[in-house]
Amino acid sequence: MATRPATDPPVPRVAPARDGGPPLTAPGALAAAASSSLLRYVLRRILWGAFILLIVTALTFVIFYAFPSADPAALRAGRSATPQLIAEIRQSLGLDKPLYVQYWRFLKGLVLHFDLGYSYQNQTSVRSELFARLPATISLTAGAFVVWMLVAIPVGIVSAVRRRSLVDRAVMGGALVAISAPVYWLGLLALFLFSNDIGVVPLLPGAGSYTPFTVDPWRWFTSLLLPWFVLAAAFAAFYARMVRGNVLEVLGEDYIRTARAKGLPERDVVFRHALRSALTPIVTIAGLDIGILLGGAILTETVFNIPGVGRYAYDSIVNADLPAIQGTVLFGAVFIVTANIVVDVLYAFLDPRVRY
Amino acid sequence: MSHPRRFGPGRLVSGALVLLIAALVVLAAAGVVRAAGDSGQAAAASKRGGTITVLSAGDVDHIDPGAAYYQFTYEITYATQRPLLAYKPSSIKPSLDLAAAMPKYSNGGRTVTVTIRRGVRFSPPVNREVTSSDVKYAIERGFATSVANSYASAYFGVIVGAPASGTRSVPNISGIRTPNRYTLVFHLKRPSGVFTYALAQPLTAPVPEGYARKFDSETLSTYGTHQVATGPYMIKANASGSINGVGYKPGQLIQLVRNPNWKASTSWRPAYADQVLFKEGFQDPTVQARTILSGGADVNGDTPPPAAELQSIVSNPSQKTQLVFTPAGGSRYVALNTSKPPFDKLLVRRAVAYVLDRNAMRLTRGGEIDGRIATHFIDPSFGTYGFTQAGGLTFNPFPSAGSAGNVAKAKALMRQAGYANGMYSGPQITMVADSTPPGSNTAQVVANGVAKIGFNVKTISVTHSSMYTRFCNVPKNEPNVCPNVGWLPDFHDAQAILDVTFNGKQILPVNNSNWPQLDNAKINAEIAHAEKILDPAARAKAWGEVDKQVTQTAAAVPWLWENWPSLYSKRVTHASERWNGGAPDVTFMAVAPS
Repeated sequence: MATRPATDPPVPRVAPARDGGPPLTAPGALAAAASSSLLRYVLRRILWGAFILLIVTALTFVIFYAFPSADPAALRAGRSATPQLIAEIRQSLGLDKPLYVQYWRFLKGLVLHFDLGYSYQNQTSVRSELFARLPATISLTAGAFVVWMLVAIPVGIVSAVRRRSLVDRAVMGGALVAISAPVYWLGLLALFLFSNDIGVVPLLPGAGSYTPFTVDPWRWFTSLLLPWFVLAAAFAAFYARMVRGNVLEVLGEDYIRTARAKGLPERDVVFRHALRSALTPIVTIAGLDIGILLGGAILTETVFNIPGVGRYAYDSIVNADLPAIQGTVLFGAVFIVTANIVVDVLYAFLDPRVRY
Repeated sequence: MSHPRRFGPGRLVSGALVLLIAALVVLAAAGVVRAAGDSGQAAAASKRGGTITVLSAGDVDHIDPGAAYYQFTYEITYATQRPLLAYKPSSIKPSLDLAAAMPKYSNGGRTVTVTIRRGVRFSPPVNREVTSSDVKYAIERGFATSVANSYASAYFGVIVGAPASGTRSVPNISGIRTPNRYTLVFHLKRPSGVFTYALAQPLTAPVPEGYARKFDSETLSTYGTHQVATGPYMIKANASGSINGVGYKPGQLIQLVRNPNWKASTSWRPAYADQVLFKEGFQDPTVQARTILSGGADVNGDTPPPAAELQSIVSNPSQKTQLVFTPAGGSRYVALNTSKPPFDKLLVRRAVAYVLDRNAMRLTRGGEIDGRIATHFIDPSFGTYGFTQAGGLTFNPFPSAGSAGNVAKAKALMRQAGYANGMYSGPQITMVADSTPPGSNTAQVVANGVAKIGFNVKTISVTHSSMYTRFCNVPKNEPNVCPNVGWLPDFHDAQAILDVTFNGKQILPVNNSNWPQLDNAKINAEIAHAEKILDPAARAKAWGEVDKQVTQTAAAVPWLWENWPSLYSKRVTHASERWNGGAPDVTFMAVAPS
């Protein structure tokens, strides 16, 4: 039996020829066709992403009006305002117009000027607020991502390699606890235990201590340590379980058995062959998770009082501030859709079959 | 309550028991609170400097002083702006601020003349001296929909020429005259017993028209983010006057710095600190309280410490002096919708008033420490301004042992109302309540209480603001019971407690605050009579009588006269509460050097 060289890709995949398509023989023609199909695919994905964003904005409008959220005109007018004043405010804000008119105005502003409107509460530009808060959210997300990957990958590998051992059971049990612990609770626990103002063991800066990187890199780093660990906890646990499962699955593949039969050291089998395959889906999901978190880690930002997009979303919802709600939802959706497109394109690049 | 707004001070009153309560409150506060003028110039100088840090969960309602209508916002507004009148700590009567003399009434109370101080200047970039025209414009802009001050119509609508509702542009109100740079003359349509109090509202803080008009002409005025100050502090601004992203980061920070154009000689505010930081976004009240206790901040701004923390602080000898309780000035109550069955029947409402366990309701907010169980609507802090006249602490038409409810009496009333066995047998009733504690817990106690006389309650849980704006404030959507409502007055005149809340003439299709929809011809007539009385004693007597009558209708069941707890850090050496306002007055706070 012929054996595959150990350095081969784990699952060799070849793009099937399209039915009825011209035979692609010359290497240049093959490359050109591949490039063209990839381009078409990317365009399709972008258009589809735009459509999804359109749906998201429409849904946000409908949900805001269909569910019993507070009346923004009445909130703006205040306790002692007359009904006439509320009506005037409703009119001046355009809230008296049919839903589709309001939606069209919003879309027009968005598409023509990338204008997300002004907050009803403080008359500040929603777009400016979102961009001002983005660095905090990026800082939180990026740091948490590093933490959870640094924890999840080694833990997952060890658990897979030492399957059913005491270490495996202990680590996976711990992972289950971490997944089950609500971020809000875990955040408060971390503050009451380790923050340097109210903690039992005062180690790290607590709530409200976030400092932008541009102001003081060291304080930026220390102020985010607790939030990073808290946000990363559940992700690390989930990813560790996923890494473990994927590695176990790959370790059962024929080519791994072959590699072992060839006498490769176990370290090479695990790290050079099994892990590469096992991590591919992990990276994909990580891309999506990062997209979601960039849209705002609402609970973590709220507990630790980090002035990010998530906190802005929370405040907007509490204040029934429609333009801000609309802006934060759209902002989050953009990141998620973009992450999806990036992942899809990467897949298409790696596996040409998905382009068709 | 419609907003956690805590206004105006209360005065020590006659009536030994009430005096005792007030004294206890003062004593409780004594650990940190000292009168502003107790220390002399040298001591004042030693307190100067430093930074005060105030923690809050949320942001101001509106950064524009002309739109502000929230006690937390007022902590900033009164530190940066100078209305004609303002409240000194521990006083319920307005004192002179921008005004140089108290308002003079003439023409049977229809003409009010106010002179303003000379030498008060706007902060940069305006820099010029304040004139009477700036006050006129400030009041006028409150009527423009771009500013939309919510009390402008209620208190300043009485001025001749004031618009009936909001206008698209800033109106010119003919009844406000400025005969010279320092004199304002208000011509009123009729005498108003509350106009002097209205002049202590932030709407009378001057706004320079030439500078502000371009901001006010926008759909929503952006003057708030370009505001200029007249008080001892200003919100930190850039050279062009914009505070946005400089001293004001919505939901994050409001930074007050000294106003370079403020003259101490024109003001009674000591303004000890060099800087005041309002740090926002501290959503968890326990974290907030513990941060203050640890010295990480100096006082709570918009959120009281939670009940468990309060109990812990009070029982800790080294911490309890850091806690100051101040009467909030209003009451919490359960509104029963009188416009439809079954609470259109007086006997059924009275049965509910008897059966409710008010003590258990109070426990949902922290128990005794949170305030006295209310038996009528005018708060004890009103003293001789209506509380005493309403029967003080002895007036309790629906008594029960330990305020735990009297089921037997309630059932007897239900039997009188035609329900066999004293148990309600009609269709399920509806209740719209807060979705989060403590309001949701209070609602549960109410539901459990009325169940004792047969009511099956369907509870709809929504956010606090939705509860008001979508349900309880809209008569056509109003359920049978609104268990989480309350009212805090804008100032210490009983009209501010009882008029919009129980006057049948004030029932509105939207933004209605007469939640029980009480429309009792006799009470309406007495309110109309009381509003016109200018003599303080006669006025208090009339409103006290209105309070008694409203309470006896059981259209609403009062259950808490609330205290507001302020928690100060140990480095605060000098603090003053706005009497009954509860919120800290940062212009009277001093901190020890770090």
